Amino acid sequence: MDVTFKIRRQNPDLPGKEKPYWQEFVLGDVEPTDRVLEMLHRIKWEQDGSLSLRRSCAHGICGSDAMRINGVNRLACKILVRDVGERIQIEPILGLPVIKDLIVDMEPFFDHYRQVMPFFVNDDPLPADGRERLQTQADRELFDDTTKCILCACCTTSCPSFWANGHYVGPAAIVQAHRFIFDTRDQAGKERLDILSEPNGVWRCRTIFNCTPACPREIEVTKAIGEVKLAIRKGKTIGIIQPDVSH
Amino acid sequence: MTSLVLTVRETLRYRGAIGQWSWVLHRLTGVGVVLFLALHVIDTSWAVFYPGLYVKAIAAYQSPIFTIGEFGLVFAVVYHAFNGIRIVIFDYKPELWRHQAQAAVAVLVLTLLVLAPVFLGMASHVIDFYVTEQAIAGSKIMDVVVFSIIEQLPFIAGFVGVLAAAIVLAAAFSLVRGGATERSRYPQASPVERFWWAFMRLSGILILPLVFGHLALMHVVQGVFDITAAQEVAGTLATNGTIGAVPSAVEFVFHRWSYAAGGVFVWRVYDLFLLVLVTLHGFNGLRYVLTDYTSFNDFARRTSVALCTVIAAVLLAVGAAALFVPLEKDIISEAMAATAEIYELRGEEVPAELEAFLSEHR
Repeated sequence: MDVTFKIRRQNPDLPGKEKPYWQEFVLGDVEPTDRVLEMLHRIKWEQDGSLSLRRSCAHGICGSDAMRINGVNRLACKILVRDVGERIQIEPILGLPVIKDLIVDMEPFFDHYRQVMPFFVNDDPLPADGRERLQTQADRELFDDTTKCILCACCTTSCPSFWANGHYVGPAAIVQAHRFIFDTRDQAGKERLDILSEPNGVWRCRTIFNCTPACPREIEVTKAIGEVKLAIRKGKTIGIIQPDVSH
Repeated sequence: MTSLVLTVRETLRYRGAIGQWSWVLHRLTGVGVVLFLALHVIDTSWAVFYPGLYVKAIAAYQSPIFTIGEFGLVFAVVYHAFNGIRIVIFDYKPELWRHQAQAAVAVLVLTLLVLAPVFLGMASHVIDFYVTEQAIAGSKIMDVVVFSIIEQLPFIAGFVGVLAAAIVLAAAFSLVRGGATERSRYPQASPVERFWWAFMRLSGILILPLVFGHLALMHVVQGVFDITAAQEVAGTLATNGTIGAVPSAVEFVFHRWSYAAGGVFVWRVYDLFLLVLVTLHGFNGLRYVLTDYTSFNDFARRTSVALCTVIAAVLLAVGAAALFVPLEKDIISEAMAATAEIYELRGEEVPAELEAFLSEHR
C-alpha cells in the first residue's frame, strides 16, 4: 500500500529553510507491519538524503528515536505503520531546541537528569563476602518499574508543564530519582528529595497524565511522580509505595 | 508570552488523553472563578462602605451579560470542585492512577447531573425577573449597566494601582536578590512549596461545603434577582426583623450580617472562613498558573508572584474590614437614594413608598 508521510523539517544552516516547514513524501509498497523507523530510512535513502533523524539500536532499547508521531510521542522503532494509519505525521519532540529536522538538543534534558544524582550512593563497607549488597525481593519490587527507563524523553516532552517552563525538572528525571530514592540500599534519598522539592521540582507536575501513555517502556510515570511527592510531603520513603492490586 | 502561546498551541495539537483536557478545564475554571472573586469581594464590601455603589453594582449584575456570566460561574465552581476532588484522590493514592480517565469522565457526568437542577432553579429566577420587570426596555438596561460600570472606575484605577505596586515590589526584590535564573547544580529544598501543595488540597476540601452552601443560598434559593426585592433573608429568622417597605440589596446584606444566633453573627463567621480560604486557595492557584508561564524570566515571575500576593492581601483586608465593621442604619438610606437614581436612569417613576422613605430621611 501507499503511505503518505508529512514531516516537520528545519535546517538552520540552509538559507530559506531556517524556519520549520512541512514536507510530504509518498512511499509505495509499504507493509502494515513495517516499522515507522524503517520508512524514515527509506525516505532518507530513496528520496531525500538530507532528512535528519537520530537512531541507534532501532530496537527500543537505546531511546534515541523519540519523535511526535500523529500527535503523540513515540519511538519510531517501536511503532508499526498499521498502528498509525496511511497518513503519518512526524515532528520533533517538543520543549528541546531543534538542531535539524527531527534531531533535538538533548543537553537540557540530561542536565535535569544529572541534577537528581542518578547513581547509587552507599559509603558503608562492602559485605563480609565482598560481593553484592543483598536485598529482599519485596524491596527490589518497590522500584522495579522505574529501572526500565531508557531516557528517550518521550514523557518529559509530552508534558505541558515542561513545554511552558524548561526549568521544570520533568517526568524522566523524577522517574530516575525514584529508582534510587526507593532503593533500600541507597543512602542519598534525603538529598534527592530535597532537590526535587524545590519550586521547579515535583511541584510543577499538575497530574495531567500525558507522560504515562507516552512512555514506550510502559513505566507508570505519573504514579512514580506521585510517590515522590508523598515521600517529600511525609519526609520518609518507607510505606509510601502501595502494592499494585492489578499486578 | 511565548511560553503561554506555545503551550496553548501545542496543547491543542498534542493528542493527549482526557487527563490533559481536565487540566485545561481546571485551569480555565480556576482563573475564571478567581477573577470573579476579586470583583465580588470588592463589590460586596461596598454594601458597607459605599452603599450607593453597591446598589448600582447589583443593578449591573442583573443585566443579561452578567446573567450569562453567572451561569458560567456556577459551572466553573462546580466543575473545579469535583475535578479538585479527583486530583486530591490521585495525589494521595497514586497507585489508583489506572482509574484517572474514568474519574475524569465521572467528574464531567457528576458536574452535569448537579448543574441540571441548579440551572433550572437559577433560570426560574431569571424568567421571573424578566416577566415581572417587563417595563424595562432593553436599551435602558444597557444604560444602567454602562452607568454602573462608569461609576466603578475607581475600582479599575485600584486594579491598575495594585499592578503597579506588584511591579515595583518585583523590581525592588530583583534589585536586592539579583537575577537567579540559572539553577544551582543541586537546588535547595523548598518547604514553602511543600506547604502550599498540601494547603491547596486541604483548603480545597474544606471550602467545598462552604462554597456549595454559599452557591445554593445566594444563587439558587435567593439569587441576585431576589436580593433587591426580598422581604426576608434566607438563612436568618424573621424574628430579627424583616426588610422595610422598599427592599434593597444593601438592606439584604445588612440583615444577613446582623443576624445573630446565640450571640454569634453566623453569616459573618461563615463569610470570613469563606473569604480567607477561597482567597488563599484562589490566588495561590493563580500564582501556579502565572509562574508556569513566566518562569523563563526572573522579573516576569517575580511580578506574577507579587501581583498575586498584593491582590490577595488587598482582598483579605477589604473583605475582613467589611465583615468586622459595625453596621449603621444610615447605609440603608444611602442605598435608597441610589435606588431612586436607578429608577430615574431607567426612565421609570420612583415608587411612592420610596419617595416617602426618602423625604422622611432627608
